[in-house]
Amino acid sequence: MRILILGLDGAGKTTILYRLQVGEVVTTIPTIGFNVETVSYKNLKFQVWDLGGQTSIRPYWRCYYSNTDAVIYVVDSSDRDRMGISKLELVAMLEEEELKKAILVVFANKQDMEQAMTPTEVANALGLPCLKDRKWQIFKTSATKGTGLDEAMEWLVESLKSRQ
Amino acid sequence: MYTLLSGLYKYMFQKDEYCILILGLDNAGKTTFLEQTKTKFSKNYKGMSLSKITTTVGLNIGTIDVGNARLMFWDLGGQEDLQSLWDKYYAESHGVIYVIDSTDEKRLSESKEAFEKMISSESLDGVPLLVLANKQDVENCLSVPDIKTAFSDCAPKIGKRDCLVQPCTALTGDGVNEGIEWMVKCVVRNIHRPPRQKDIT
Repeated sequence: MRILILGLDGAGKTTILYRLQVGEVVTTIPTIGFNVETVSYKNLKFQVWDLGGQTSIRPYWRCYYSNTDAVIYVVDSSDRDRMGISKLELVAMLEEEELKKAILVVFANKQDMEQAMTPTEVANALGLPCLKDRKWQIFKTSATKGTGLDEAMEWLVESLKSRQ
Repeated sequence: MYTLLSGLYKYMFQKDEYCILILGLDNAGKTTFLEQTKTKFSKNYKGMSLSKITTTVGLNIGTIDVGNARLMFWDLGGQEDLQSLWDKYYAESHGVIYVIDSTDEKRLSESKEAFEKMISSESLDGVPLLVLANKQDVENCLSVPDIKTAFSDCAPKIGKRDCLVQPCTALTGDGVNEGIEWMVKCVVRNIHRPPRQKDIT
């Protein structure tokens, strides 16, 4: 199984990747390029790709789209100002033919921040209700505190097992 | 010649596509109903284990073929703040399946409120409504007459559209076929909402 972790810079993608893999918070620096790790969860092995999120390197995301089973799209729930840009990137990504069958999981990350938007607010801001042909689900997460990730992975495993 | 043949092929095998919304409060059994429907109506589908289904905060989809009709399901999360997303799907829906937890008498009025709000929407005018009294396998649950009584003052708002209250147990599959077959019949004959046409792929 191949999973991509995408989202704007500073959303918490790398922190999530290593939380999933080693279960700890690691100190990260902005990713230029990618990190790739094998993550095992409930007897399933995933190859998880965390791609850098800065503006200049977002065009390269598409080089990694083929054979992707699921996309974990990470947003910084406290960054209201950039929610619009995050939406544009998400919409552009979902239009790609190669991702047509991929399951979408949105992590409304940084829920530990006071001003964090709720999952419903994030869903609306990202225009998720306009998606009519794709299964999607949103989870409240805090990568630094480690909350929400288990639930989300559990859901993802079950969804991947039962694709129509 | 090619156009002629491909035209004929399309005419023969094209499916009429209908979009069906599955709504109701959280924990009513919407996703279980969808999984059960997919398992019953598609040959090679190995369903999700029903015990592993968790709260939906998003959208689940599913497609089944019944005769010449293709039903596309949208199963939406039912938690209170997620209900604000429901109306984004109304305009494109051909039918609504509203699921009620018959064992949860305490939240019946909450369910009725959400139901009333939904059917009041103009964008659902004339759309067939299937109300599922789910979890009928549990002893002492509310019966169909109980639910009809509780929802009786919604009748004027339901108006002329097709409406059926169907007892069901999504977990075991009881009542699922009856409900789906009724829904197919209704959406096909509903001239106010013509199907989306899609080629078989």
